[in-house]
Amino acid sequence: MIAIHDLNLNRGEAQLDSLSLTIENGEIYFLLNRFGLDFLFQVLDGLRQADAGEVRFNGGTAPGRGSTGAVACIDRVAEVADFETEARLGDWIDFLCVVGGLDRASIFRTLLVCNFHESHLKRKIRDVAPDVFMQVYLAVSLAGDSPNLVINDFIRGAEKGFELKFNKLLLQKKAQGRAILYLGSDIFYASEIADRVGFIKNGRLLFEADAADLKEMDIKDLYLKFLN
Amino acid sequence: MLAFLQFEGRRIFGEKKNLIFFAFIALSSAYFAWSGLHEYRSFLEEKRIFLNLEKEKTSQITSYAQYGAFGFRLLYESSPLNLFFVNSSVLQDLESNIDNFEAIRIESSFKGNKLFLKRGYFKDFAGILFVFGSLLMLYLGHAALASQAYLRFMSRRMSLNRCCCLTTIARLFWLDLFFAALALGLYLLIRLAGVAFSESELRVFLLYLLFLVLVLDFFYLLGQLTTVLLRFRKVFFLWFFVVWFVCVFLLPEMNRVSVFNSSRALESAEKVNLEKFRNLMSMERQFRELIKVNPAAPLDQIKLMQKKFAVQFINSSYLLNTGLETKYLREVEGVIFGHGRQSAVFPTMFYQFLTGEASGKGYYGYLDFMDYIMKLRSRFIHFYLRKRYEEGEPPMESFVKGGENVFRSHSRLPRNYWWGVLATVMYGIGIALLTLWRLRRQLSLA
Repeated sequence: MIAIHDLNLNRGEAQLDSLSLTIENGEIYFLLNRFGLDFLFQVLDGLRQADAGEVRFNGGTAPGRGSTGAVACIDRVAEVADFETEARLGDWIDFLCVVGGLDRASIFRTLLVCNFHESHLKRKIRDVAPDVFMQVYLAVSLAGDSPNLVINDFIRGAEKGFELKFNKLLLQKKAQGRAILYLGSDIFYASEIADRVGFIKNGRLLFEADAADLKEMDIKDLYLKFLN
Repeated sequence: MLAFLQFEGRRIFGEKKNLIFFAFIALSSAYFAWSGLHEYRSFLEEKRIFLNLEKEKTSQITSYAQYGAFGFRLLYESSPLNLFFVNSSVLQDLESNIDNFEAIRIESSFKGNKLFLKRGYFKDFAGILFVFGSLLMLYLGHAALASQAYLRFMSRRMSLNRCCCLTTIARLFWLDLFFAALALGLYLLIRLAGVAFSESELRVFLLYLLFLVLVLDFFYLLGQLTTVLLRFRKVFFLWFFVVWFVCVFLLPEMNRVSVFNSSRALESAEKVNLEKFRNLMSMERQFRELIKVNPAAPLDQIKLMQKKFAVQFINSSYLLNTGLETKYLREVEGVIFGHGRQSAVFPTMFYQFLTGEASGKGYYGYLDFMDYIMKLRSRFIHFYLRKRYEEGEPPMESFVKGGENVFRSHSRLPRNYWWGVLATVMYGIGIALLTLWRLRRQLSLA
């Protein structure tokens, strides 16, 4: 369970005003904002401190280094070239398994779902296709098998094929009872994947709806109202 | 740690462009070591010819009066270790003439093939490793931390401090190993090629290597810092060039200009020579006056007077002139000492000072050479006066016994070597801490 209580952020464009949310186990909550929610992701990831309020995972653990067992934070991968590019994929996975104490079998289980081909392991990261890298990135991020997931606009710009594989994984995690908070700006994707959707405008959570209700609403109208 | 060593080893040596650069550095430094060896062998050949020529020249001289005027030449022989620092040395091939003139002359010949010997800045083993090694290390320091996204990803799996420190240690381990193996390998090859290095030369070489590795590590850390300061932006290679140029060229050049400016406080060497000439001439004048007073003095008496004046010369004007020369030399030593102290302020400045001294043709080598010249001159003047005036021109005998006309300079380390090492280590630690501090701020505020 992810519980956000009275969270305040007030630094430049990163603005949040008394955000309170609870994401139950086995639920996907999609939080939408026109400019994305990188700053909220950083707070949940423990990289940034909120000005006020608190975040708790499973009722106790706060964000930060000690929260890795309680939450898996999956950030957007803007470009493969921005990442570690000199290493081979296989070497990189081996390295992460040793230093991050990750379960190799768990990584390959996720890769199997994504139809990952073994030959990619011998290739340098910079040489693999972006969606192949995203598969590995996702597999590594999910290897900890955390009960909570925070995802920041992960599939933006990804190919449809990858998006389908990702959805399959996400629904699998939901079925396993994970609490999933997805941050992004794509209302159409939100209506497709989420159980509940929240709209943030000018730092305030203005509107919340169940996905089922959302289907009956005019999405275009919602978009113009909250995300334009 | 082992996982980091393994991973970084594969990252560094699995990259084709890195391997090309490593190969380029290895081949060019091997070429310049070989070229230094070739030059060293040519010098030994030249030295053999020089010794034969000097022997021949002395055998042709018929009187001690001639011997005093012609004197003999003294050759400056640097240590064999100089072959690694051919163009990093302060001095060129030097010679001096030991005679009974008041001025000490130190010359460098540009006759014949010596005209084509000078190869210019950095074109030796030490220079190549410094210039291209620093470039490579800057680049590898830049590539080490990959990007903010990567570090954010890694910081979820381990602390940022641990990730950065272990990555840096692992990368520096492999890179230092490469440079150490290259330098020691070439040292051994040169040894196998027949150049005998003494134990003290081996020690100097190892300590030089230690400092080289520290300077290169300094550049690696500087590469990391520059990347972090410029927020991992893609278009910043101009900044890298600026940082590299300032460290490798500008600061050492400013140091050189600074020592030149402080040397301007020294009295002109010509003035010292003139002062010595005046002292000598006033004595000569006294002697002539005495002869003028007794124009009809018999030859025996004139010889007796000459002998008396020779003794007087040794006890007065010669001592005075030696004192002037020694005082001047100590003033030069003061400037050199200040230069050495100032060089320790920045790693690249100290590297250049260190390579000069390690070559055996540095500032302290010059001071030793001057001391040797003055001692040899003193002995030669005594020898000349004794033979000419006391012993009454016995058959010609050469002053030079054994290899006295070759000055063997030793490779050495600057007196403040460990201060230089300490300063470089402190710079490295400071840069690493600054990098970490900036990185933490960037990752949490980006």
